[in-house]
Amino acid sequence: MSGPLPGPAGAQPAMPAMPLLQILSLWRRRGPGLAAGLAASLLAFLAGIALLGVAGLRLASAGAGVLLVSALLLRLLGVGRVVLRYGERLATHDAMFRALADLRVWFFRRVARSAAGGLGHRRSGDLLSRLVGDVEALDGLYLRIAVPLAGAAVALPLLVMLALRHGAWLALSVGSAFACAAFLLPLLAAVLVRGDAGALSGRNAGLRVAVLDLVGGLREIRAFNAEGRMLAGVQAKEASLLSLQLRLARRTAIAGALSFLCQQAAVLAVLAAAAGLAFGRLGAIDAAVLLFVLIAAFELAGGLTRAGALAGAITHAAARVVEAGAAASPAPAAGHAVPQGSALRFRDVGYRWQPDRPPVFEHLTLEIPQGSRVAVLGPSGAGKSTLAALLLRVVAPQGGTITLGGVELAELDEAVLRRHFTWLSQSTHLFEDTIRGNLLLGRPDATDDQLWQALDQAAIGDVVRALPERLESWLGEGGAGLSGGQARRVALARALLSPAPILILDEPGAGLDAATEQALLSTLNQVAAGRTVILIAHRLTGVERLDRIWRLAGGHATAAAA
Amino acid sequence: MPTILLGLAATGLAAGQAWCIATVLAHALLPGTGAAADLSAIAAFAVLALLRALLLAVGDGRAAAGSGASRRRLRGEALSAILAQGPPLLRRQSTGVLGALVVDRIEALDGFFGRWIPAASLALASPALILAVALAVQPRAALVLLACGLAVPVSQAAFGIGAAVAARRQFVAMGRLQARFLDRVRGIATIVLAGRAEDEARRLGSAADELRRLTMRVLRVAFLSSAALDCAFAVALVLVALLDGHVLLHRGPGSPGDAALLRRSLFALLLVPEFFQPLRAFALAYQDRMQAAGAADAFHTLSHGVAPVTPAASAGGPVLVRTVAAHGVSVAFERVSFAWDPSRGPALDDVSFRIPARETVVLVGPSGSGKSTIVEMLLGFVTPDGGRITLNGADLASIVPDALAQMTAWVGQRPLLFAGSIRENVLFARPGASEAELGQALRAAAIDGFAAGLPDGIDTRIGEGGYGLSGGQAQRVAIARAYLRDAPLLLLDEPTAHLDPGTEREILDSLRRLAVGRTVLLASHSSAAHAFSGRRIDLSHGRVVQLQGVASA
Repeated sequence: MSGPLPGPAGAQPAMPAMPLLQILSLWRRRGPGLAAGLAASLLAFLAGIALLGVAGLRLASAGAGVLLVSALLLRLLGVGRVVLRYGERLATHDAMFRALADLRVWFFRRVARSAAGGLGHRRSGDLLSRLVGDVEALDGLYLRIAVPLAGAAVALPLLVMLALRHGAWLALSVGSAFACAAFLLPLLAAVLVRGDAGALSGRNAGLRVAVLDLVGGLREIRAFNAEGRMLAGVQAKEASLLSLQLRLARRTAIAGALSFLCQQAAVLAVLAAAAGLAFGRLGAIDAAVLLFVLIAAFELAGGLTRAGALAGAITHAAARVVEAGAAASPAPAAGHAVPQGSALRFRDVGYRWQPDRPPVFEHLTLEIPQGSRVAVLGPSGAGKSTLAALLLRVVAPQGGTITLGGVELAELDEAVLRRHFTWLSQSTHLFEDTIRGNLLLGRPDATDDQLWQALDQAAIGDVVRALPERLESWLGEGGAGLSGGQARRVALARALLSPAPILILDEPGAGLDAATEQALLSTLNQVAAGRTVILIAHRLTGVERLDRIWRLAGGHATAAAA
Repeated sequence: MPTILLGLAATGLAAGQAWCIATVLAHALLPGTGAAADLSAIAAFAVLALLRALLLAVGDGRAAAGSGASRRRLRGEALSAILAQGPPLLRRQSTGVLGALVVDRIEALDGFFGRWIPAASLALASPALILAVALAVQPRAALVLLACGLAVPVSQAAFGIGAAVAARRQFVAMGRLQARFLDRVRGIATIVLAGRAEDEARRLGSAADELRRLTMRVLRVAFLSSAALDCAFAVALVLVALLDGHVLLHRGPGSPGDAALLRRSLFALLLVPEFFQPLRAFALAYQDRMQAAGAADAFHTLSHGVAPVTPAASAGGPVLVRTVAAHGVSVAFERVSFAWDPSRGPALDDVSFRIPARETVVLVGPSGSGKSTIVEMLLGFVTPDGGRITLNGADLASIVPDALAQMTAWVGQRPLLFAGSIRENVLFARPGASEAELGQALRAAAIDGFAAGLPDGIDTRIGEGGYGLSGGQAQRVAIARAYLRDAPLLLLDEPTAHLDPGTEREILDSLRRLAVGRTVLLASHSSAAHAFSGRRIDLSHGRVVQLQGVASA
């Protein structure tokens, strides 16, 4: 049951009050670019309004027998609109992608900082992948909400001013219709959808769990001929998700139709004024200009209702990204002490994951001399993985001290600490990269000879030599399909390549069959000479060569003869 | 089809509204002409507006419903393909990838089904309708629209083919970079603990910038095609305004038929946005289509590869099922060979042995010697490349999968526990079992012991969001399933590989009780094998090296 290292509980902060504002403040550095994109988009929008308005003016004035607009102006506006629109799109997208790239790196750094604080362990890969999707979803915040909203904010006074030339009542009716379509209905859509956002993500998760059960349980399903039952189960979850989605889509559709009616109401008001039926008679040329401007302005408002429906999802995404990035790091500020050697000593260490849970360790005292080979054994729940987490400073003890080479772990600089430990467990990740790329993570400056030596020590060298692209073979999806045992050996080679003096092996055989596990462990006997080896396991297979065995039970460690 | 009709109706209504506006404006421009018609035109405009809003809401609702139905159908097909390929699929694809394909990639197709398909179906029909109307009213403007409209596909083709190929290549590169980010985030603990976080952050920064540059390269082309659309729109608008304005101006005000001409010109001008609107929706939805193309590739690889299992249902199968309960099942492998991947050599090579009914045989051998392959063949997960396997003399290939499943019970290395209660997980083996049968299975597998300590007993939820069971407890659930199954052939694949010695002893005790009266094949490393005395088969590199108390068929 050795999973990933447990992380500190209670490190989950309350959800930040204004996640969207926080995201925006992260984009401050890209402020000029984003503002330039916004300005370009406003210009393009205004050019679009002007083009339609002037075209209407030209035709209407010609109808009235006068020529108020030169053909040149009309052509200029036409060209200007096309060019500005193209430039605006490039500018906004480029600014957005720069900001997203920043956000990705910020997110990675923050998660990395708190990964030492457990987040990287605590969260499943699935949740992380959704967070990655959340980062991508945030482009809607700028492109689909901020930019059109700014356009609408400019269009509203423009419309009101044009209409005011004729009278306050016309201005009021046209202005309120536009405000309703551009601001009120999107807000309404956002509120309507937001109420169900929780239910929606719950049902989404339900479908995901059911699908993963079906895929992961293919063996059980075939063995118990449960295909029909499982398919029906997944489809029931899917139906409940789809029905909620449909309900939300219908509400959004109604909001969209209402937004359209607002536009129609505004047009109706102008027509009535033009016909002299209401608001006093509006000049025909003015009416034509106003009508065409209305058409252009409302085109923008129509998209905002859909953006409003998206706002809930975007806020949700922003909240999760900010929350993941804000997880507090429990590791104290590091000092600059230099450890003398690599002997490890736990003295009176006490630790509990949460204040209301029983302690994992009370007065834990144990010693691991430099260069010794030690096993830490114990049943599930005895604190084996907690011990690894404490050693790696993933969590900090609440009592007592842990020293490395005579210096308290808490006093060590992060880089110094990481240089001293190499960690291998079943959750050690092999990256979608070449075998070389994966190995170099352990030692970036390793030569080819060193790489092959590590692979040979891990008894995987011959397998890699037999691959057509040898060290350049791609691991992961679509790559060299290594078996579980072979992949673990590549991870072992990476650990062996690392010059770190202390090797922590957290259940290195878990998930492997017994024979492969034994072969892996006997390999370790030969290759890790001179280093401290800490083997964490629930049992020994009999092939390990050890100097000392510590048994964990009841929050204490007792030494047993090797 | 109704989508097109709804869309065309909306286009028709829009043309009607344009006519109303043109009427009112023309009258206002030339005072004293037909002002009485204004009121009815305005009233008609209002009625048409209401109808259009209704069509809009209905159309959007239908598009959403259609998208839901399409995603349901696609997901059904994907799940069926996964179920048809069965366990061998997990050797090629990870559950995470398959899960993401079935859940996320299909959800991402919402835009394709909800926006692209309606937009694509209207992209030709709606402009054609507007063109027909314009032709009837103002042929000169209609010609302008036609010319500009035709320029759209021509310009798309001009930027087109080469650019599209480049775009597709960029999409592949973008997909890789996105996958890289995801992969680095997943493995972040490994990076941090190796002390390489800052390095990776910098590399990620340049990769993200690379992603931006690639994306912009695609967008520069993609936006060119929408700029061409904007261009065609602007040209059409300017031409209609200038041409008709020119004609109007040179006729001089007050000439006969002026009001009608002006109305037609204004009408034509108002039609220009309506003409281009469907084309713009089409261009906007294009990115949804690109996304769908990527997903289509993924689905293709899913349904491609191994042919779905199509059992040749012969008369032998059902008969066999009826007789096995009374007499037990004998198993024979006759010169069976199999390779997972021909380039890596055979997993089984000319394997022959025979297990009489109700006997227990232990398969012994190192990892990779073919033990699991033998068990998976008997479970019907894979079929031999050569030779044959018989149950009671009937060829395994002739037994329908359901009948085979009825005959076998299986306990593997790590049973999968589904999200749900312990009760549901045990009943998975036989949903129709009675409470008494369930209780018996729970007692036989010694689940009642540890379940009593859980908050809701056997109704405690386990797995996601519930209690985790230890390896030994999970294995007991698998044993209870096998009891409930009560099948004559029991297949055990390293059932204690991950257990500590104490738990291993207890589980072996339970398994020995389960084995009584059944044909048993136990694949195991040697220490567990001692618990089951007697007959044994030693395997090495896919070949039988020794038989003890077992006939070689």
